[in-house]
Amino acid sequence: MARLNQMPEPMRSHLAELPCPSFTDQPWVPGTPLLKRRISLISTAGLQRRGDRPFEGMTGDYRVIPGDIQAKDLVMTHISTNFDRTGFQQDWNLVFPLDRLHELASEGIIGSVASYHYSFMGATDPAEMESAARNLAGLLKGDRVDAALLVPV
Amino acid sequence: MGALAHYLESKGIPTTQISLIREHTEFIRPPRALWVPFELGRPLGVPENPAFQRRVLLKALELLEAPEGPLLVDFPEEAPENAVGSDKPMESWSCPVSFASESRQETDLEKLRSAFDREVAELLPWYDLSMEKHGRTAVVEFEPRSSSELLGAFGTDGQPVTPKADISLATALRLAAQDLKAFYFEAVSARPGSAPPSSGEFDEWFWQETAAARILKAVQERCLKSGDKSLKMTGAMFLIPMDQR
Repeated sequence: MARLNQMPEPMRSHLAELPCPSFTDQPWVPGTPLLKRRISLISTAGLQRRGDRPFEGMTGDYRVIPGDIQAKDLVMTHISTNFDRTGFQQDWNLVFPLDRLHELASEGIIGSVASYHYSFMGATDPAEMESAARNLAGLLKGDRVDAALLVPV
Repeated sequence: MGALAHYLESKGIPTTQISLIREHTEFIRPPRALWVPFELGRPLGVPENPAFQRRVLLKALELLEAPEGPLLVDFPEEAPENAVGSDKPMESWSCPVSFASESRQETDLEKLRSAFDREVAELLPWYDLSMEKHGRTAVVEFEPRSSSELLGAFGTDGQPVTPKADISLATALRLAAQDLKAFYFEAVSARPGSAPPSSGEFDEWFWQETAAARILKAVQERCLKSGDKSLKMTGAMFLIPMDQR
């Protein structure tokens, strides 16, 4: 239950008081129908390939997750202890719904699934992520991605 | 999460997102967001339920076809089971391994260490079974024997040997603590005929019943007393959940 007003303290206050950035502009990119979209997953769960560098701090860096990765090779090194990990342990799709995306692609509901996906570590100050995120946009275009699905944890 | 969407969209990538904390998303106003009423750590709602996950995914993706925004839409369903705060009774799951009751009364560090070592030894066969069955583990850097050795030694004032040359002791302790919990969850979920515990059931058992939790609290104490800044921060924030401190 992620309803803030039902969370126990001190978690409720911690989350309620987290500083959030405010933006003066509101970007909006129109696109083609869903059935033509090529979709990349972007997680903030601190996911990484097994053997890649664990997340060590809140520095705004990200890890690349190849589209052909198997569940056994995707692990989580998010630094926070304040969210459930047992669901991810049972089923990676709960956090990283790659199998579900492939099903939608094979049924023609979405166009295709990207060759690369990405993970940041949430709880990082968004300002730290800005530079990496803007560079990431170029990488996504290189992969012909025209929709990013962002999944928190 | 909302800020990332803003940055990507402003560079020409259409985005849609799942939101877990509605208040944050209301403030940041990313282009398209689906708020879901699920537990933190479970953005698609429930494990091993592809039909439910698919409904969440489709709702989030359909926002890409909206003509204008920003959009913040609420997902209409609750997670069907095992959610914290659901009506499911907590006593429906019990740990398949019962630890000697006297071990809970340990007061000195040596006794705590031996209780911890016994606990790990009892759980290891279940972990091995889980690996055989699923071919997957959430353990990342420290296999059960090395996480328990590192945490057991550090928590009981021994001299820990960091098994990885390329990571600091503070990072090693944090990763080992997560790996230890992952090992415990997989081990207790592996008993034949026993469904995995819900997140709440597992937390209740792990933090209230196990020597592992007492070792982690001892590790935390030693970190907090340390003069090393990164150990201090690890102890303060990255070993024990806020609701268990």
